[in-house]
Amino acid sequence: MAKKYAMVHDNNLCIGCQACNVACRSENKIPESVYRLQVWVKQEEYPNGSLGYEYHRQSCVHCENTPCVSVCPTKASHVNEDGIVLVDNDLCVGCLYCVAACPYQARYVHPVTKAPDKCTFCHESRLSRGEEPACVTVCPTEALVFGDLNDPKSKINKVLSERVTYRQKERLGTQPKMYIVPNHKGGINS
Amino acid sequence: MIESYARRRFLQFSTAALSMQGSLRAWEPSILKGEDKWVRSVCEMCSSRCAIEVRVVDQKPVWLQGNAFDARMHSSICARGLSGVSQLYDQDRLRTPLMRVGQRGENRWREASWDEALAFVASSMQRLKQNYGAQSMLFSSKTGESFDLLSSFAANYGSPNTFSHWSSCPIAIESALEQTFGERAYRDFEHADYIVNFGHNLFEGLDIPLSKAMARFAANPSKKLIVLDPRFSIMAGKADEWYPIKAGQDLAFVLSLLHVWLRDAKYDHAFVRRYCIGLDALKASLKETTPQWQERYTGIDAKTIERLADEIYRAAPRCILDWGHKATTSPAEFQRTRAILIANVLMGNVEKKGGIYFAKTPEMLNVLLQEPLFPLLQSPYPAPEVGIARIDGAGEEGSAYRFVPKKHGVLNAIADAILTQQPYAIKGWFLTRHNPLVTVADPQKMRTAMASLDLIVVNDIYMSDTAMMADVVLPESTYLERDESIHLHHGLVPSYTMRNRALMPLRGTQSLRETVRSLADALGFGDAYPWKTMQELRAYQAKGDSALLESLVKRGYVQATIPPLFLREEASVRAFCERYAHVDLMRVSEMFERRRKTPSGKIELFCAHIEEAFAGYGVPCAVDMDVQHNYPYTLISGKSAIHTNAHTQNVPYLHALMSDNPLWMHPSTAKAHGLRQNDTCYIENEIGKEKVKVFLTEGIRPDTLFLYMGFGRQTPLLPKIDRKGSSASKLLPLKTAPVCGAMITNTGVRIVRA
Repeated sequence: MAKKYAMVHDNNLCIGCQACNVACRSENKIPESVYRLQVWVKQEEYPNGSLGYEYHRQSCVHCENTPCVSVCPTKASHVNEDGIVLVDNDLCVGCLYCVAACPYQARYVHPVTKAPDKCTFCHESRLSRGEEPACVTVCPTEALVFGDLNDPKSKINKVLSERVTYRQKERLGTQPKMYIVPNHKGGINS
Repeated sequence: MIESYARRRFLQFSTAALSMQGSLRAWEPSILKGEDKWVRSVCEMCSSRCAIEVRVVDQKPVWLQGNAFDARMHSSICARGLSGVSQLYDQDRLRTPLMRVGQRGENRWREASWDEALAFVASSMQRLKQNYGAQSMLFSSKTGESFDLLSSFAANYGSPNTFSHWSSCPIAIESALEQTFGERAYRDFEHADYIVNFGHNLFEGLDIPLSKAMARFAANPSKKLIVLDPRFSIMAGKADEWYPIKAGQDLAFVLSLLHVWLRDAKYDHAFVRRYCIGLDALKASLKETTPQWQERYTGIDAKTIERLADEIYRAAPRCILDWGHKATTSPAEFQRTRAILIANVLMGNVEKKGGIYFAKTPEMLNVLLQEPLFPLLQSPYPAPEVGIARIDGAGEEGSAYRFVPKKHGVLNAIADAILTQQPYAIKGWFLTRHNPLVTVADPQKMRTAMASLDLIVVNDIYMSDTAMMADVVLPESTYLERDESIHLHHGLVPSYTMRNRALMPLRGTQSLRETVRSLADALGFGDAYPWKTMQELRAYQAKGDSALLESLVKRGYVQATIPPLFLREEASVRAFCERYAHVDLMRVSEMFERRRKTPSGKIELFCAHIEEAFAGYGVPCAVDMDVQHNYPYTLISGKSAIHTNAHTQNVPYLHALMSDNPLWMHPSTAKAHGLRQNDTCYIENEIGKEKVKVFLTEGIRPDTLFLYMGFGRQTPLLPKIDRKGSSASKLLPLKTAPVCGAMITNTGVRIVRA
């Protein structure tokens, strides 16, 4: 049976340390000027006057309803059998419609291949070796859970059944496969 | 006979990791692909020394992750750890020995061969020894294997003047633990229900096992985390309650907490009566330290103290007041840390699950189990006693630093000793993995002092501010290129780690061990070392225990599988005795009854010998808490999750993430000085003046300013980091904290418009 890979990012466990960011760069040999994955640490002031940090994972969210694939004139942008959104460089003509269409600003132009590039859940490297994506493997606080939504026994399904999660820009109907456990703590200033 | 002994013993070691994912890989190094292999080793991108695995493809390390043989690691690793590969291949690394040709610090060099450089070092050291005595040479290193090695080298050469980084980092904690308990104590974050954190920022100063435990704790809604920090750190962001305490005033908070408990007779009476001395002195000292009293120091209101005192005490003994790691914030650092330790003691959390505990050492377990199950190591680095007093008087009766361990010394005392040539001539300095011009107070003065020396030798993998002042710079191999000795780690359960190299040294670098070994030969004391090669060294250290060595070569990490033992936790003692049926329950419980290694043999709430030498320091009391010295602001500094305090700033991956350290400033402070985001201004005091860029944030007290450490470098040979950002060290005075000799990392400053 085909897989349906997805990920959970738990904002309560995330500490914004960028281990995931460097892991992605190291494993996928991402040039210094661009990135597939960053965690943006944002200091927020909540309505009650208290402070908090939010940890935004900036990378491809692997939509089920994919604007980047819909606009691609050559089918270079595609979803593979495991639900992972990929780019076939050989088919890409460099129109960059996909870069513009992505509501998550997840795509960049690779300075060497000149084709759009993005998070692949480490499909071409780690998944093919039976390993988890680089970011999930190294996360110091185990804030990331990766797995197959089609496997009822998977850890990710367990987490999704137990925790309240949301997805970014759900209103767009893109159905991202990146689930976020919201932060339940802020700094309560005395 | 020997074989069966070894096999039986190794049943004691963990096989837990084998059942985990990736277990096959652990036993079949090359199962993945033809050229793939995994090497298990120990990280050295910071001081936490996490267990790592290195993926090596075609003899090249390509990927690093946590070593799951240390079950606390899983496969986790931090950004720094991952960047080990980036550091390894960094084109800016030192490739060949450099010898100074211009004036000292002028930045004119020539390349030299190893033979020439080492011959120069040996003959210079020989000359200094003849002319001024061996004590005229100083030796310094970050603690770890390089420090043990260098200390041994110094001792055999004949100098007592070894310095670790301790006095610029954890010495107050080490000292307070020693004076209170007579040994180190550890924190069981995993089982605690309530933790009070005084800025121990485990989410930016990462130590994977501890950080992971703390993250789990903080994310658990049924646990409570209180953070006191003048800055809204990542740790503070995970707290249930954050109190932006005034910088350096932790002591006032703890004194009032203790006051409330003693006032209300809330403490573990039986424990204190049986195991402690000095309760009356403590009570007398804390009469006035009421919650109202502390308000003006900490800025925290009295009602909050009353509530917290009650909450914390109710959570005891599964409650920890965390003394932190690098915390030195005020001259009262020894008092602050002692007060925190004593709060733990009064809660009766000692040797309780979720509280604090002492190491279960191999020696202790072997006695308890009546069998030599856990290997004892012998030191491969002999360091004979040198019968000469140190330049700082550390460990000498009558000296201000009598309570500072001789081995570690006081870094802040070096500059004055060199400039005055007191107590005797000081002419040379050998540094490895140490960059005091970045990490020690008043680098301006230190630079002047260094300029007057005859010989400075720096062993490092990169050029550094300190190396700029050297006569000879020796290019060291990184940890990925080094085999090292075995390290025993103490804790709830003993564990052993060993650094295994993932590749042969690149570009003609070599390890400090090779450097020291050949210098020792050249200086005529090579036979002090019972080994020449790494294999011989390891075999000597392990006393020929090939099973241990083999296991460490394969796994990098070996841990005993005894059940965790908390001596005052009945269920824990019972579980231990069930596992080892021949061990008597009483015998285990009695382990806690032994005489402690303090002068009184008990846990010392009051230290008579400290009081005698430092009046007012024998028992926690309100002394020396001011760090602002009539300046309008207090400058504080701390770690980021990206960089270490002095070492990683040039590593390409990490530099790309963080190449600057703007000054955290509250918007109201900025407004008062007419400053805006990204403006440039100066901060200054009587020690120095430093240019800073303004970063506006609500996450800091208006009277406090913050800088991440490690920037503001003066290293022209590393143009990427040269003069980028600002250094807090340049504003720190050389005054040290009484008793422990710690550098004080908070200081008063004023803001000056550019």
